[in-house]
Amino acid sequence: MEGKGAVTHEMRYMMFKRPFYLPLTFSLFAWLMGAPPAHAQNTEALTHFEKRVRPLLVSRCLSCHGKSVQQGGLRLDSREAILKGGGRGSAITLQHPTESLLSKAIHGSGVLKMPPSGMLTAEEKEAVDLWIRQGAPWTPSTQPLIAKPATVPLWSFRPVKRPPIPATHNKTWAKNPIDAFILDKMERFGVTPPSLADRRTLYRRLAFDLTGLPPEPRAIEAFQRDQSPRAIETVIERLLASPHYGEQWGRHWLDVVRYADTAGENSDHPLPHAWRYRNWVIDAFNRNLPYNEFVKEQVAGDILAKQGDPNRYAERVVATGYLAIARRFGHDIEQDMHLTYEDVIDTLGKSFLGLTLGCARCHDHKFDPISVKDYYGLYGVFSSSRFSYPGCEPKQQPRDLVPLLSTVEMEARTKTVQESLRKLDEENRTLLDSLPKEARALSADARKFATTLSEGEIEDGGEKRFEVGAKTSLQRVHVRKGDVLQLFVTPLQNHGADSTLVEWKIAEIGGQGRLWDVRDLVEDLPAGNPHTDRYGNVGTWCFMDAQEGFRFLPEKLERIDGQSAIKAWRDGDTPSVFVNTSAQPVKVWTTLPPKSFFVHPGAKGAVAVAWLSPFDGEVSISGRIADVHRGGDGVGWLLQQYTSSPNTLTMAQRYAELGRQSMALQELQAKRAVFQESLRVPVAFAVVEGEARNAHIQKRGDPAMLGEETPRTFLTSLGESKQPPKDSSGRLELANWLASPTNPLTARVFVNRVWQWHFGRGLVETPNDFGSRGSAPTHPELLDYLTDWFLKSGWDVRALHRLILSSATYQSISVAPPTSKRPPSPKEAKELYALFLRRRLTAEEIRDAFLTVSGEIDVTPGEAHPFPPESGWSFTQHSPFADEYPTMKRSVYLLQKRNRKARYFALFDGADPNTSSPIRDNTTVPTQALYFMNDGFVHARAEKFAEKILSASSTPQERIQFAYRQAYGRTPSRLEIQEGERFLMDYAQSLKEIPPQNRLTSAWQAYARVLLSSNEFLYID
Amino acid sequence: MHQKPLISRRECMRSSLCGSLLFSGILQELLAEGSPQRFADPLAPRKPHFPAKAKRVIFLFMTGGVSHVDTFDYKPRLFADVGKEVKLDHPEIKNRPGYERIFLKRPQWEFKKYGQSGADVSELFPHVAECMDDIALIRSMHTDHSNHYNATLGMHTGSFAFARPSLGAWVSYGLGTENRNLPSFIAIAPAQTYAGSQVYASDFLPGAHQGTLVVPGSEPVADITPRSATAQQRKELELLDAINHRHQSTRETDPQLSARMKSFETAFGMQTAVPDVFDFSKETDATLRLYGLERSSTQGFAWQCLTARRLIERGVRFVELIDTGSSGNWDSHGDMMDHARLAQNVD
Repeated sequence: MEGKGAVTHEMRYMMFKRPFYLPLTFSLFAWLMGAPPAHAQNTEALTHFEKRVRPLLVSRCLSCHGKSVQQGGLRLDSREAILKGGGRGSAITLQHPTESLLSKAIHGSGVLKMPPSGMLTAEEKEAVDLWIRQGAPWTPSTQPLIAKPATVPLWSFRPVKRPPIPATHNKTWAKNPIDAFILDKMERFGVTPPSLADRRTLYRRLAFDLTGLPPEPRAIEAFQRDQSPRAIETVIERLLASPHYGEQWGRHWLDVVRYADTAGENSDHPLPHAWRYRNWVIDAFNRNLPYNEFVKEQVAGDILAKQGDPNRYAERVVATGYLAIARRFGHDIEQDMHLTYEDVIDTLGKSFLGLTLGCARCHDHKFDPISVKDYYGLYGVFSSSRFSYPGCEPKQQPRDLVPLLSTVEMEARTKTVQESLRKLDEENRTLLDSLPKEARALSADARKFATTLSEGEIEDGGEKRFEVGAKTSLQRVHVRKGDVLQLFVTPLQNHGADSTLVEWKIAEIGGQGRLWDVRDLVEDLPAGNPHTDRYGNVGTWCFMDAQEGFRFLPEKLERIDGQSAIKAWRDGDTPSVFVNTSAQPVKVWTTLPPKSFFVHPGAKGAVAVAWLSPFDGEVSISGRIADVHRGGDGVGWLLQQYTSSPNTLTMAQRYAELGRQSMALQELQAKRAVFQESLRVPVAFAVVEGEARNAHIQKRGDPAMLGEETPRTFLTSLGESKQPPKDSSGRLELANWLASPTNPLTARVFVNRVWQWHFGRGLVETPNDFGSRGSAPTHPELLDYLTDWFLKSGWDVRALHRLILSSATYQSISVAPPTSKRPPSPKEAKELYALFLRRRLTAEEIRDAFLTVSGEIDVTPGEAHPFPPESGWSFTQHSPFADEYPTMKRSVYLLQKRNRKARYFALFDGADPNTSSPIRDNTTVPTQALYFMNDGFVHARAEKFAEKILSASSTPQERIQFAYRQAYGRTPSRLEIQEGERFLMDYAQSLKEIPPQNRLTSAWQAYARVLLSSNEFLYID
Repeated sequence: MHQKPLISRRECMRSSLCGSLLFSGILQELLAEGSPQRFADPLAPRKPHFPAKAKRVIFLFMTGGVSHVDTFDYKPRLFADVGKEVKLDHPEIKNRPGYERIFLKRPQWEFKKYGQSGADVSELFPHVAECMDDIALIRSMHTDHSNHYNATLGMHTGSFAFARPSLGAWVSYGLGTENRNLPSFIAIAPAQTYAGSQVYASDFLPGAHQGTLVVPGSEPVADITPRSATAQQRKELELLDAINHRHQSTRETDPQLSARMKSFETAFGMQTAVPDVFDFSKETDATLRLYGLERSSTQGFAWQCLTARRLIERGVRFVELIDTGSSGNWDSHGDMMDHARLAQNVD
């Protein structure tokens, strides 16, 4: 068995971190290589050399005494060279082992002390001495790494050939060729083929299989009634056409490619664009993208995008997310890119070829014909590509994200937008030119007819009432409609000015007794400038920059310094008019008192607030200003009234006109911002071509110990020795080779996966390992038949579904009828398909089924996660990204983190986001039962389900019927109804401590929980 | 071995269908023995390959890296050479501002010899120091990694970069556990350490071997607190059992179904067994004093230690104690004196 529990290669891989050279058939090898020295025949001595001595020579000696450097003229990379020796003579004296220079050097007993980087351990010295005493046997291989002798070619490497369909004795059972192969084997083992499942069972099986969702009770019933001979085909077609099909089958593929929304390095950086790849996979299944295209686009979509249909540009770039979502490692991820490339190569091997290529990072594959050279051939392909960079602790910001527009389109779009911007600016020109002039004219005219009502200064941190500086009585000021009262706050010497609290009330004397108070503006300051007053008079309040002329403050802010309680009108940093809307003091650059109105002058002059009188009459004016930011030199104030105007317009009309123009300019500028925003192109976390370069072999997988350069190639053992063009990474060639119909693995591996996802078990039980350590197929002819059929269909995934789903093998019963004389054994059921294998729902299916039955599911596709903005990222290993984003969407859209796997998915055997999961485990542990009994999520769903049940009918009997149809897709038996009624009554009666009117609801909730926790709900027959 | 026990196992399962709790233990054993590996009880106790002295493990993990030279690794030269400038050729500090010149700093605490072994221990651990003769002290550990994340993952899984099963998961996988009302591997952690849940995960081993997280506070184990009163919950489980039995009656050969039915019985028991572990009311004042724990407090390392003892006494195979999370821990290079606070917590 592959997957968890079967600890095979992974375990060894971990246990032997030091190089571990298996003593392969050396004697045979030696014989093949020509006449060996007599002593080299001793296998044990050779094993000792390979295991203990050669690694030492490679790691400790060859950097100075190897192929490229020969210190002292000595080479230690072949027996001949060692015997020949260097300037000091032979390194080994076979007649007097202890007198050998090499032995003396490592013991430091002569002139030399070797290696200079640090002496060997006692054990290592002894190993070398023993080897010298044995006569220095040497494996006659020219490479420092042992090549595996050629073996019989693996079954999976042989070309796909369509076998004849077997003739069976039973002529009625088989519905299609699949059944013939299955039946043939059953007959050979004397097993009776199973009968077909009933329609309810079949529909439930199909619904979960194809969409991952529980069936609609009505759809089951329609299917049960459908007399047409093509009823099953109709159902299959309808389910395949559902958008939920792609979500279910896409999730299968996402398991294989270890999809995650975080990078997995020490601080687990979010990948805000990875979702595009996730949705691409879902979409690819939904539009039945041929599998060869599916493969090619994931490996080389960026290159295909440039060559192909411009309408498919974006999606093909997105497809390379397959490569880009590779796991990142360590603190500074660029230091550990060799591990990321391993992750890519390993996943590529497992997902497309069913080969464990990752093993060849440190040594030739022990069991499959994959050499270190093959590994670094592929390594060069990926290190010649540029992967989007997710950010990490020392370099937080992502980069190298790939635009979803081609260069041509980008240029075209930029051109259109630039053109629009130019036009806008032309329109703006008049306003831009006229506004400052008008502003200056207004201020000049205003000053000509100004009456000063009050003026004065306050010192740093001080405060004064307007009455203190009154030039005339403020108790009774005559105003006419169209007059303006304007309050300036000006900086004193330091120009830095100050945040100034303003209280200003204008009370109508007599008349309607209205009151205008700047405090009214606290609630809705951003509503406009000019600003309507509380009585609905348009443009009564104006917030002005009075530094040069009277300009309306143009920029509206809904928050300052991240504080949404602070709203403002301003121009640049200052001048500004702002409010604290909170009932609490808010700390920004200074602490602002609650529910208050403030102004801040500019560096070169005043800020002003103007009030345009909407009536003729008398007002009383009161107020004060206070410095709320200590540390400056205080501010001055000036309160003026402008009564008449040199032209026919009133002052207020002139303000209004200027305000209108100012607003128009603001609108134009907002439009400009939208255009500019449209220049921002959506991006993908993807891969593009980089600088094409071959990789060097990394000895023992250590990037610091480089060996020879290896040309960029694919797997030579699969007969592929072509090399990509010089200036290409080789990904396109790799993609074409993977997706070629003559590649014996790609189609076989995928056909086996599809079979496994339908039946719960592959024809090859190790879907990620088609090598010699994997399982051999149980039905090799069937696998070849299906593979050939699939290739001839043009890699048509949906056609393959149809073929499998319409077989009697798929439509079989999962429960042997009680009448059967010899029910199949579990082994027969499993290996001969004598029964359909019952399966538990997956983690995703359980959650989606809960949400469907409770009626709460949000079936719209998920998109991006609400990650915090990239500009603010500061994730560290001390405080890594650890958000959760709850949603009612389908589970495939839930956030998948690498370093902090969600508890729910850990509990129910969710896919591993760190490594390819070919099979979902199926463990049953009591902590899962606790989840069903006590978790808030289950209880909340059951409450909603109970609500639905209660509103479906008013009789207990019908309610139970409704509940059974929803949960199980069937009607309950009389016994089950009675059982339910008894439970409800009994349960409600036992609830002494809650009010009687709530007891029934509680009982129904308990009943709903039981149904949702039952095996019938959780298992599919 | 093959034919007969198979039948008797089936018989036994049938008899346990009556819901007898008495049979549950035997059922587990029988399911474990001889049944297909996939559905066998993965936590059934297993014999080790070699006779072992230790039966259970308590693993104390001090997050952030305890300074060895300030605690258990006496370096007299550091005291002698304090203030001396040293050259250090390490990629970590190359071209790093503030590291142009490096000086030796002496430990902040004095050392003394303890026990017959004469082990040198600093004054940071006066209590542990008294037990040095019972402790195997390893001073030769070293690593070529300098990050918390890698070090923490490496200490737990043996792998510095890739996720692998944690130590506790391996022990659970190899030996199973003795009390089926409690998980086999429990990690007690007030906060997540570096590398998150990977440090107590089962990775490629079956999920049953992953560490169950215990967080000090009102609900130490997730979902352990019943949401219905016992009488009502019993009614729910009885109905569930009846429905499941009916469902199973035609599917007898499927051990998954009965294993899941059994898991509800175990879970029901856990609801009592687990809180019992955390109920210290029957512990004497003397015991609490020994641990330095105030009655009814659930905070601090003392609580974790006493909890660990109670878990081990009840047959849990592997308990891990993580003293602090990925911040505010032993990573005290900014202020070495912070070691005093942390040491006092765990000593």
